[in-house]
Amino acid sequence: MTIAEGAKYVASAYAIILAVLVIYYFMSARRVTALQRDIQLLEEEAKRREAPAKGTGAE
Amino acid sequence: MKKLVSAPALFIEAGILLIVGLMLAFWYAPVDASSMGFSQKIFYYHAPIAETALVAFGVAFVAAVLYLRSGNLKWDRLGFVSVRLGLLFSILVMLTGMIWGKAAWGAWWAWEPRLTTFLLVCFLYAAYWVLRSVVDEEQRRATYAAVFAIIAFIDVPITFFATRFLPEGLHPVVIGPGGGGMAGSMLLSFFISMIGMTLLLVALMRRDLAIENLKDRVTDLKTSQGG
Repeated sequence: MTIAEGAKYVASAYAIILAVLVIYYFMSARRVTALQRDIQLLEEEAKRREAPAKGTGAE
Repeated sequence: MKKLVSAPALFIEAGILLIVGLMLAFWYAPVDASSMGFSQKIFYYHAPIAETALVAFGVAFVAAVLYLRSGNLKWDRLGFVSVRLGLLFSILVMLTGMIWGKAAWGAWWAWEPRLTTFLLVCFLYAAYWVLRSVVDEEQRRATYAAVFAIIAFIDVPITFFATRFLPEGLHPVVIGPGGGGMAGSMLLSFFISMIGMTLLLVALMRRDLAIENLKDRVTDLKTSQGG
C-alpha cells in the first residue's frame, strides 16, 4: 500500500474521531447551559412563590 | 457546581497531549515497515481509545460494587456515566478499527478473537443501557444496573487478553513480553496519546457527572414546586 492510498484511510479514521468527540463535547456543553438556565428559572419561580407567602404571614 | 461543570483545564491538557501525540505519530515515529505501511498511523489514537473504553467499563464495575455495598446513588450515577462514555469510545474503536482493517487486511471485519470479544462488550453495555431505560423506580434500576455491570465486566479482561491467549488472531500484541516490537519513537507517541485520551475521559466523566447532578437538581426543584 502506498502512502497516498494509506493516507485516505488514516484521514478518514482521524476525521471520524475528531467529529464524534467534538460533537459530543459541544452537545454536553449545551446540555449544561440548558440545565443551568432551567435551575435559575425554577429558583426564581420558587423565590416568587415564597415572597407573597411570607408577606401574607407577616400581616 | 459551576466550577466543576466548566473545569476547562483538564480538557485543555488532554487536547494538548493529544495534539502532541498526533504530531509525534506523524513526524517523529517512522512509517511501519510491515504490510500495514502508512495505515498503521491509525494505531496512535485507535489503541488509546480502546484502552480508555475498557478503563471506563472498569470504572463502571468499581462503581457497581460500591453501589451494591453502600446503596448510595452517587455510585449509580458514576456507573451510568462511565458506561455511556465507554460506549462512545467503543463506537470510535469499532469505526476506526474497521477502517484500519480495510486498509491492512483488505476487509472491513474479521471474526477474530479481539474484534469478536470487543463487539460482545459493545452489545453487553448497550443492553445495560436498555435495562436502565425499562426500570422506573430509582433504587431498583440502580441495583439491576449494578448487577448487570458486574456481569458485563467479565468480558472486558477477556477482550484485553484475547490477543495474548489466542495469538492466532489478526490483532498483534502491542505491549507486553514478546509483543509488538515497536520502536521507541512509536511507543513515545503511543503513550502520550494514551495519557491524553485518559485525561479526556476523566474530563468528560466529570462534566457528565455534573450534568447528572444538575438533572437531579432540576427534578428536585420541579417536585418541590408541585410540577
